[in-house]
Parts: sequence; C-alpha cells; structure tokens
Amino acid sequence: MSSVTSSLVAFATAALALSLMGCDQQPLEVAPTGAASATKTAVGPIPGSGQPLPVRSNPYAGNPTAANEGYQFFSWYNCSGCHGVHGGGGMGPSLRDPVWIYGGSPDHVFASISEGRSNGMPSWGTKIPEQEIWKIVAYIKTINTPSEIDPPTMPLATQQAHEASGNPPASPPPAPQP
Amino acid sequence: MRQNRIGQIFLLAASLGALLTTSCTTKVAAADTNNNDDVPGMKPGIHLVSPLPTGDWTLATGDYANTRFSPLNKLNTENVKNLRLIGTYNDGIPHGFEGGPLFVNNTLYMIEPFPNDLVAFGFDKVGISKKWFYSPNPSNRAVGIACCDVVNRGSTYAGGKIVYNILDDYTVAVDANTGKEIWRTKVGDPNLGETETMAPQIVKNIVFVGISGGELGVRGRLTALDLQSGKILWRAYNTGPDSDCLIGPDFKPFYKKDQGQNLGVSTWGPDQWKRGGAPVWGWISYDPGLNLIYYGTGNTGPWDEDERPGDNKWAITIWARDATTGQAKWAWQALPHAGWDYDQVAENVLFDMEWQGRMRKVLINTGKAGYAVLMDRETGELLSAEPFQPVTWSTGYDLKTGLPNMVANLETHRGKMITGICPSNVGAKNYEPDAFSPRTGLLYIPARNICMDKEDTPVNYIAGTPYVGAKVLNIKGPGGYQGELVAWDVAHAKKVWGIKEADLGLNSGVLATAGDIVFYGTMDNYFRAVDARDGKLLWETKLGSGLVSDPMTFLGPDGKQYIAVYAGIGGALGSVAFKSISEQDPYAALGAAAAEANIKNKTGPGGALYVFGY
Repeated sequence: MSSVTSSLVAFATAALALSLMGCDQQPLEVAPTGAASATKTAVGPIPGSGQPLPVRSNPYAGNPTAANEGYQFFSWYNCSGCHGVHGGGGMGPSLRDPVWIYGGSPDHVFASISEGRSNGMPSWGTKIPEQEIWKIVAYIKTINTPSEIDPPTMPLATQQAHEASGNPPASPPPAPQP
Repeated sequence: MRQNRIGQIFLLAASLGALLTTSCTTKVAAADTNNNDDVPGMKPGIHLVSPLPTGDWTLATGDYANTRFSPLNKLNTENVKNLRLIGTYNDGIPHGFEGGPLFVNNTLYMIEPFPNDLVAFGFDKVGISKKWFYSPNPSNRAVGIACCDVVNRGSTYAGGKIVYNILDDYTVAVDANTGKEIWRTKVGDPNLGETETMAPQIVKNIVFVGISGGELGVRGRLTALDLQSGKILWRAYNTGPDSDCLIGPDFKPFYKKDQGQNLGVSTWGPDQWKRGGAPVWGWISYDPGLNLIYYGTGNTGPWDEDERPGDNKWAITIWARDATTGQAKWAWQALPHAGWDYDQVAENVLFDMEWQGRMRKVLINTGKAGYAVLMDRETGELLSAEPFQPVTWSTGYDLKTGLPNMVANLETHRGKMITGICPSNVGAKNYEPDAFSPRTGLLYIPARNICMDKEDTPVNYIAGTPYVGAKVLNIKGPGGYQGELVAWDVAHAKKVWGIKEADLGLNSGVLATAGDIVFYGTMDNYFRAVDARDGKLLWETKLGSGLVSDPMTFLGPDGKQYIAVYAGIGGALGSVAFKSISEQDPYAALGAAAAEANIKNKTGPGGALYVFGY
C-alpha cells in the first residue's frame, strides 16, 4: 500500500470512529443471543463470541450391528463407487486418512452426506432416511479402527504374487487408533 | 487501467513476435498439410491415407489417420541430444494433464484439466509468452462424477476456431486469435453421470464429440455438431434401436455375430441398454478417401456381469460411419458381454499396406483387452489379432467368426474373487495413443502389464452416481515389469523391441518423427527420445511431475523444430499419486492403488507445459 493510501485509510478510520462515538451507538452483536441458529454443523470458524453449537450425536455410535448395516448401505447407495469399497478413495476422496475436508466428527460426516458438498458429493438427505445415514456414519467411523467392518486385505495368493513380482506390500494392516 | 497495461504488454509481445518472425527464416511450408507418400524413406508397401502436419499441429490426433507421425526431420538421432528447455508454464493445477497442445499460426494452445482453461502462447526472444486465456467456468458438479480424474485430452483447430470439450458436458468453440467464445453447445448432462474428456475431431464442417461415464451408467453416443454454429446435426447412440444407432441399409458388418435387427436392444435385459455404458472417450480417425470415420466404444456397464446377461451390443465395439450422415457402415464387437472394463476406445491408426501379398486398406487398434487388432477398414474384416502384453482371458481370436477364444472361469460373478485376470481394468493400453512411423513400419505402443482380481457385487442404479458393482485389485503382471513401450511390427504382427518400466505403468502417448525419433514420457517424470529403429536412448530429462500426456512437434516462428509436452500426474493410474487416495487401501482408485502403491514415492501432482528447442 502506498503511503498516500495508508494515510487516507487512517484518516477514514479515525473519522468513522469519531462519528460512531458521536452517535452513541453500541457495537452490533454478530448474532443475537438466544435465537436459534440456522446452522447446526459449522465447518468453518464461528464468528462472534464463540457460542458452542449443539452437537448431534450418532444414535448408533459404537453399535456394531448398525455399523454392519451401514456398510451394506455404503455399497447399496454407491458410496463405495466413489470413495472405494474400503473407503480408500477414487472419484471421491479417501475416508481412511485423518484429512476431512468438511470435518470428521460424526455430525459433520452426517451433514456432508445429507446436505452434499460441492465438487460432486450428492445431497443424499433427499434420498436416504436419516436413520440409515447415521448407520453409514457408524460404519465410516469404524474405518481404520480394530472394529472396522471388512477391512481391506489382499487375497493371500495375490499378496504372494504381488511380493514375488517385487512390488512393495500394498496393504499394510490398518493401524489401530486409540 | 489494468486493461491498458495488459494491452501494452500484449502489443509489446506482438511486436517482438513480429520482429522475430521477419528476422528469422520463414517456415518451410505455409500450409499445414502435405501430400501423401512424400515422406522420404518410407517403407515400401506402406501408404499414408491423410495429410501429415508439416509445420503446424492443428489436430489433437496430429493427422486424421491418427499416426502421430511428423514428417519434420530437423531434429534427428544425431542432434536430438541438444534439446533444451526453452519455455514452461503452469497454473498450479494438481490434476492429470492428458492430451497435448496445438500449434497454429505461430501460437501454441494448451487445454488444462478442470476448470478447462484454454491458454494461448506466442514466442519471444527468451521462450514462450502468454498471449491470452479463456475460462469456460464449468460447473464443479461434474468433478465428482469423473471416473478417472478431471482430465481433458485436447482440442482441435479448424476455420479459425479452437474447439474442445469441457468437463460439465459442453463443447465450446473459441476464436483462435482473440480467445473469445464463439459458441457453446450442451452435449450431455452431469446429473446423468456424463462428463466430457475427449478431444473432438473435425472433418470438413462437422465436429464429432463423444461422452464419458462408463462407470456411471451413461448411454454412450457420438454427437455431430456444425462447426460454424455449434448446432447439433445428428446423434449416433451405441445402444438401443437401430434408428438411434444410425444403423440403416448401408450397414454391412463383416461377421454374422454382428448382423441382425436392433441388436442394441435384443442383446440386453429389459431396459438395461438405457444405462449400459459404451461411452466414447478415445480418439476419432477419418479416411478422406472412403469418407468414413472410425472410433471405438467403451466398456459395458455395470462391471457386475450378473446384472446384465447378453452380448450387450454395441459396447466394446469399433464403428465405421459415414463422416457426413453418421450412418453406420460396419461394426465389430471385439468382446461380447465382458465385465473386465475393457474399453475398445483406442485410436484406430489408418494406413494402407501389403498384407499377405495383397494391398489392403487397414486400421490397427490396440485396446485395453491387450490385442493389436488389424482390420480391413473398408469391410470390417479381422486380419490379425495378437497380444502385445500378457493376456489370460483368451487364447486369441478366431478370424473366421470375429470372436475371441475365451478361457474358462475368468468371467466374474457375485460373491467370488476371481484372480489372475490379465490385463486389468486399467487395460494393457489406455487412453494414451500409439504412434506409427511409415519409415520403420513400426507401431509404438505405450503399454501396461497389470493384472487383476475381481469380484462382482450387487449394484444399484442411481442416476449421477457410480454404477460399477465390483471389487477390483490390480497387481503387476508376469515378467517383473509394469510398463513397456512396445515397438510392434505391423506386417508381422509381433514385437520387435520394448523398453520396460519396472515399477509403474506407462500412461503417456507417443510421437514419432521423420528424424527417426520416438518421444514418450513416464509416470516417474522422465521425458525421453529414443531411436525409432532400435529403441536406443538418445536423450532424456526429468520434468516436474509424471507424464500422462501426448508429446507433439512443430516449426516455430524461427523455422526450427520444437517439441512440446505436458507434465502433470493423474488420470486412472496416476491419481494414486494424489493425497486424496489412501495408500492403505489396495482397492482404492477402482483397483489401481495396489499396482501403483509406490507412486507417491516417485512423483507428485502439479501440471505444466514444457517446450523444448535446440
């Protein structure tokens, strides 16, 4: 910024401050307290005083039967076609690593599935009942844990052929997470 | 004010360019065409069927016959070692750069992957300079439905226009001088899983474009547009009733298996032809003498074989069509029903040659299924089909019936993992085009040696989402290598020499020149020039990312020969290099992750244009 411009900015700021003081105005609240917020699953930082948003928890969290059903839905609704049959990614991003573009907490994953995301993630809330989405979330949250449903493994014969051909092991065992 | 400054820079660049042009030797040929058969040293018994690019490079395919052979010979096996980088450019796009630039009237044109900008470059004293860019601003809705990265395979120049496809299913024509859009025509719908990735072909006043989306239940087709207005003239579908497929009284398939009424419906279960895939995303050839276009169709959808009994015509098929009316002349289905994702979309390379004592008008096609298929392009008769990489799914072709001799128990079904299917779903060769030199009689095939395990899974059609139905795992094929540049003796249907890549598949197209040089690139960043006769390495350099693109050549404003190529890893195999694909899951990227498990250690994304001179 040139010195002329910066002096202009400084002048304008001072003038604005003066005029505000003169009108005796209070600083505007970013969000009126007590009002219901339109967004329940914020992806970005929350402006204002940082009121915590209510977090929806997965009714099927830690429920292996639900996670198993979720794995079936993951295939049936073609999630596997984009994100990979074991969530390793393809047309869509991997669900196996710590990177979550739109947040990795269960309610964030629920929101991404139900609302859709740009770059091609469909808005499944129009198609999949809420309880089924939660079951899919339950499955996704088992990925890369000791309770993962159907973790990716190579058939033994293929693994041997793979190693015999000099390729590095392509399928390390999933790292257990605390 | 910004406009003014840009204007000034543009004027400066333009005047520099003008100075350069006048001070240097003029081009050998002003016209960008050449008569056939005047390439010195052509092998006896071989004739070219379409003009070659003598100074400019106006078609994505180089010439109509898809030889990707340049008659330029200023660069030769002696002096190619003097090549040096004279210009580079990048827009920071971390996706696969397929295809290659065009060069027309001293301007170099680059098409980028999504968001599909067209960038024009002139030449200055030091290298290349950006003249203008055009942004088509496609919808990012299309990003998530592109099966194999958000690639684009190039553009074609005709009548003052650069014509190309953008990912969200529009064909656009842009003024080659000003960068202003002339027309934009919707040719598909992302909500149906359709994307556009291929380079159009232009014959006379007609633009031909296909459609991508064989993994999303699309209905494959070719669309013909008017070059001047962009208006759609006709459509030829690959499935459905004969009237939709433009099959009429002229249709004379050579083999009985391809003869009959409405096979595009009767070889499918009820209504399955409406979502049966058979996309068109490869290259289109044209024979000016016969006025026929040739192109192939992609895989049958879904990959789950149990979902769709029948021969599933016209997937995995080569078409010959009238270039004006689109009426089918012949068709040959290379492989009925199969679920191995063997698209037959490879370029059909056209030339005339002596075959078993008789001159034949031939085409040669090296498809994903692993066979170098030589056909009579007038009749659709199969002359020869020999594997150019390890093949386990069949023992060869029966030239009398036009059918492959299938190996039992490699077809896939639900609930059982079938191992040892070669080639894999990524193909023994994929999009990346061959080159053919009439001086050596050799076809240069950028091939892969990758096999797969496959198990079918129940599949559910939901428009705009994947329609695959399979778990797939790729592994390196037999022989301890994964990629190979194969020099294929067409007359004897056999490999003469090959250059192997141990750890990664090949994914770059090939350029052959009259200087007897073959140019190609590797996924671990090498750009190479080898001797067209014996494959001896003449020159190599490492670029900033892996190569999945098609090198081209032209005469610059100074009359010297230049080579241009993109780096930029991505595409079906190369996207395993992306951070968005997990190395933990060998089934990721539709199975490619297992074979390319080491790729993140060898390359990384970041596309750029490179221009080499001497």
